[in-house]
Amino acid sequence: MAQIQPTLDVPEAIAEPLAPIEPGVARKSRFRIPGWLRLTLRNPKARLGLGIVLGMVLLGLVAPLLIDASKATEFSFDSRQAPSLNHLFGTTDQGQDVFAQVVWGARRSLALGLLAGVIATALAVVLGVFAGYVGGVVDDLLNLVTSVFFVIPTIPLLIDVTAFLHTRGMLTMALVIACTLWAFEARILRAQALTLKNRDFIQAAKVAGESTRRIVFGELMPNMISRIAAAFVLVFYIAILVDAGLEFLGLGQMDKPSWGVALYWATVNSSMLQGEWWSFLFPGLAIGITVLGLTLVLAGIDEVSNPRLRTERGERRFLRRAA
Amino acid sequence: MRFILRRLGFYVFATWVALTITFLLPRLMPGDPIGGVLQHLSPAQIQSNPGIIETYRKLLGGGDQSIWSAYVQYLQRVVTMNFGISTSNYPSKVSEVVGRTLPYSIVLVGIAFLIAFVLGTMIGMIAAWRRGGGVDTLFVPVFMALGAFPAYFTGLIVVYFLGLKLGWFPINHAYDNGSTPGFNWPFVSGAVRHGILPALTIVLAYAGGWVLNMRTVMINTISEDYVAMGHAKGLRDTRVMTRYAARNAILPPLNGFAPQFATAVGGVIFIELVFSYPGAGYTLQQAALGNDYPLTQALLLVFAICPIVANFVMDIVNLILDPRVRAS
Repeated sequence: MAQIQPTLDVPEAIAEPLAPIEPGVARKSRFRIPGWLRLTLRNPKARLGLGIVLGMVLLGLVAPLLIDASKATEFSFDSRQAPSLNHLFGTTDQGQDVFAQVVWGARRSLALGLLAGVIATALAVVLGVFAGYVGGVVDDLLNLVTSVFFVIPTIPLLIDVTAFLHTRGMLTMALVIACTLWAFEARILRAQALTLKNRDFIQAAKVAGESTRRIVFGELMPNMISRIAAAFVLVFYIAILVDAGLEFLGLGQMDKPSWGVALYWATVNSSMLQGEWWSFLFPGLAIGITVLGLTLVLAGIDEVSNPRLRTERGERRFLRRAA
Repeated sequence: MRFILRRLGFYVFATWVALTITFLLPRLMPGDPIGGVLQHLSPAQIQSNPGIIETYRKLLGGGDQSIWSAYVQYLQRVVTMNFGISTSNYPSKVSEVVGRTLPYSIVLVGIAFLIAFVLGTMIGMIAAWRRGGGVDTLFVPVFMALGAFPAYFTGLIVVYFLGLKLGWFPINHAYDNGSTPGFNWPFVSGAVRHGILPALTIVLAYAGGWVLNMRTVMINTISEDYVAMGHAKGLRDTRVMTRYAARNAILPPLNGFAPQFATAVGGVIFIELVFSYPGAGYTLQQAALGNDYPLTQALLLVFAICPIVANFVMDIVNLILDPRVRAS
């Protein structure tokens, strides 16, 4: 399985020095970390993005140590406070602590994005790659389904679905969102599988009498892994945006802390018109920064698999370091 | 011609799928949608509209007929646009509510999305042409960051600064109080002023995607031989950029226009909510919160059909622009 991502044409010799991520570990597992991942980790955009996302994950993980969850949802008389040391991000109209809403909201959004990403990617990989390779009726059918999903707008559909739902917990929403997003992911992966399908190593495996299942999962997929990772990141952040959006429309779980619900109440109580900018600024920034981090990771993966996208300045630096 | 017929066939199929989804949703979901709707009407209101329960049954399910005859009756209702009464806009009919709110959304999204497309592709074109130059280093990161924030958040920031702090533009509703909708100056001028902030938000939110998309394609196009030939012929730089490189680079973004439009139609719901803009999206949100299922059903259909129409229009534009499509 020495075949790495075929689009990578950066010679090892001029690659930048190894990223300062625990050099000992990196050297030891040199043969286990796939090439595209190593290159991605060296890409400055991807590194910045990964740093942002990991920071958010950490914030969500240590939330219980920072502040009590009840502060994010329970009413108190300490309302409409501007940011101060007592309330780092201020308080809302009903006296909920905005900082608590942000750190506890991180848990819901990240867990939901991860879960929806995993479900949608699993569906998309199995159906998309398989259909792309096998072709024929299976492929036509998948193509038709994904084309229809392409023209029917996701948000109105999800609004309609959630309007009928009575429980809008994290699991339910992750499932619903994954079911609407997998199709477009499958389309991306199918297109990638089509370009790989006629390469020599696939043909060789076919001639050698490998089973279809083995070719799809043993030959095609390992060579698409960077594309699959990119599609996963894409669904990850779209799911976060969609979920927060539905909550912002008032179609969320109102008794649990989350970014979208915080923004919903900020709008409903017209906090902004009363000059209480903090009650919508911080939850909004939390969504934006998380998504920006994920977009940067995605851009990093893209640049690694398509070197043309790098700016000339980046390339010059690249060559200078090599010299 | 065959191309158009094939696409037309696909759009008929997509419309049928949208119809079937709206038919199946209330019937597959847990709970009792009819009960939910009727909660929002008083007994007197139900009594003064005989046949209303029957209408809701045909739309949302319930009753004891077979699913096939229910499906046929549902399709009849949709074709005749008979969705009964909207509980959240009592006593208006659903079809009236849709007819009243939809034009605002279509005009707003149509104009703003077109501006975003033109602006975005132009910035993307220049950014790719002078890679690492001023436009590339300034606009590309700014739009990338803007694209990461939800459109409604950008909208709230726009409202806060341009509407509230500076007071330049009205921050909610679609026209001035006291003017009557129609072709008269107070209404049209008011509608334009009220539309500026929502339109600006849409442009800020969606131009970024076009910038990145166009930049990526354009970078690949620049290394083509015919661009080098354009330079070798001694043509002006801008002419090579627009007539040689961009003319070919525009095709993939143009193909992405219609799917993007479907996303934008969904995204406009948030922007309408931020600005309390009385369009179809704001109405859908209100209907969803108020269990007004007949209205959500009708609006979902509208939201599904608008992009289908837009897709078809784009196919025809594509046919005119790209000779390869004509040949196949």
